[in-house]
Amino acid sequence: MGDHSGFSRAQTLMIYLVLTGSIASGIAIFSSASTITDLLKTATSGLFLPLLLSLIATFLLDPAVQFLEGERVSRTTSIFIIYFLILAVIALLLVLIGPPNWKGMLNALKADFPRYIARAIEYLNGLLIGLQGHFPFIENYDLPGKLSNTAQQFFGLLLKETPKSALRIGSLFLLVPLFSFFFLRDSKRIMRGLISLTPNRYFEMVLDLYDHVSWQLAHFIRGRILEASIIGIVVYLGLSLTDIRYAPILGIIAGVTNLLPYIGPIIGMIPGLIIALVDLGIGGQFWWIVCVYLLIAQILLDNFILIPILISRVSNLHPLWVILAIVMGGKLYGVIGMIIGVPIASVIKIALLEIRHYRQNLYRNQSLFLSRND
Amino acid sequence: MNPFWSNIFRGTGYEDSVAYFLSTIPIFEDLKPKELKLLEGMVHTRTYRPDEVIFHEGDIGSGMYCIRSGQVSIFNNDSAGRAVEQAQLGPGDFFGEVALTVQKPRIATARAVEPTVLLGLFRADLHEAINKYPAVTSKILLGLSRCISDRLQYAALKLHQFGSNSYPPADRE
Repeated sequence: MGDHSGFSRAQTLMIYLVLTGSIASGIAIFSSASTITDLLKTATSGLFLPLLLSLIATFLLDPAVQFLEGERVSRTTSIFIIYFLILAVIALLLVLIGPPNWKGMLNALKADFPRYIARAIEYLNGLLIGLQGHFPFIENYDLPGKLSNTAQQFFGLLLKETPKSALRIGSLFLLVPLFSFFFLRDSKRIMRGLISLTPNRYFEMVLDLYDHVSWQLAHFIRGRILEASIIGIVVYLGLSLTDIRYAPILGIIAGVTNLLPYIGPIIGMIPGLIIALVDLGIGGQFWWIVCVYLLIAQILLDNFILIPILISRVSNLHPLWVILAIVMGGKLYGVIGMIIGVPIASVIKIALLEIRHYRQNLYRNQSLFLSRND
Repeated sequence: MNPFWSNIFRGTGYEDSVAYFLSTIPIFEDLKPKELKLLEGMVHTRTYRPDEVIFHEGDIGSGMYCIRSGQVSIFNNDSAGRAVEQAQLGPGDFFGEVALTVQKPRIATARAVEPTVLLGLFRADLHEAINKYPAVTSKILLGLSRCISDRLQYAALKLHQFGSNSYPPADRE
């Protein structure tokens, strides 16, 4: 038996032992790895939002810090100056305008929310009954039921999470400035450390690529954030011309959802339109609000002014990728994941394009150069 | 002398520091100690094994290297594929400085002969420093252009000599 395969008994035993040992250790490593990732997930679960916000703050503040930094002003000093200026502006606003009544607004919204949903469902029902006259098969779909279900779930979540999120917002005020301080001060050093780990053969290429990609990315992310804030402010201003309530919250929603191409602006419009419909009814003000959302914010401002100035066409994603990014982001990190999924996909696209461009350049140069000997 | 005692009385080791080493490189000789400190933050320290290639002929260059320790051989491959050595460089020498200004292919291959430590200054870092430390960067660029124009003048002289040797004056008319 042993003679056929050319192994002695001891050798067969040895192979058997080694195989069993390696399989067992593989399983052990695998299972412990999954517990480790679980542990990591639990440990970092609350950190995702503060880290994200401080990264955003870092990208926004970095040009200002670089503007002040110089041969006589160290980076740390210039960060402190910027922080001080921001604090001064906030304090000035508080003194001039007074603290915003967020709590009252949230409580009022909590009371109004079921009312808005109920009216929206009522309206939808009316619409459906009208439609059923033309398309009888619609009866099979319980759209209003589904909508009220989701709305109730969302409302319950809102009620449950508000005390928790108040605590979390308090910790955000502490964590975000702290994190972004260290990001601003040490990000260069951290990246240098990471780049210096690359093998000698690829070091120059990696350094060059990092330089190109990081510039593009910073430009893109800054542009996106600026675009969202400007849209939010314009929507807020446009809405506050009417009698609609919650204009600041609606402005924030419109700004944040504007980060999603194609679908985002529509989602951002829905709450504003529902509130307008319920409170103001269909009339001049309602059409003005539609106008603000669609014509002024989206078509005029975003398409004709902001996107051409702030965001290069390079980062445009195919609609299919947008949908995939939203779905995958939502699976990973819920609502926040849905919003940042698309920017992350664009970031990946920019990085890939840069790398391809660099490689093309490299080969063209090399072929030009090597043909010199012929 | 007892090595135990000699170690105590040696200074703080400024002569061993990267900043002092950089001040001995001709390109950086105009920089003051404080500016050398800033430059120290811009360079990357790379370690090479014997026979490891630093860059190949035809690679896209992105910066210059100064030899901190070790030996570097600069060579070209001739049409038969044999290596023709152009220079052997030692500690304190620098090479690849043309790539600091423009993204062009390297004109020769550089290879470490023995265990070598190089300090690399790259275009990406220099570009970033232009806005941040304009005085330091302009001194570096001035030193760089001085080195390159020295070399250009030397090359022009050589070319002139070469030309006057191969064409005797009588043939020129």
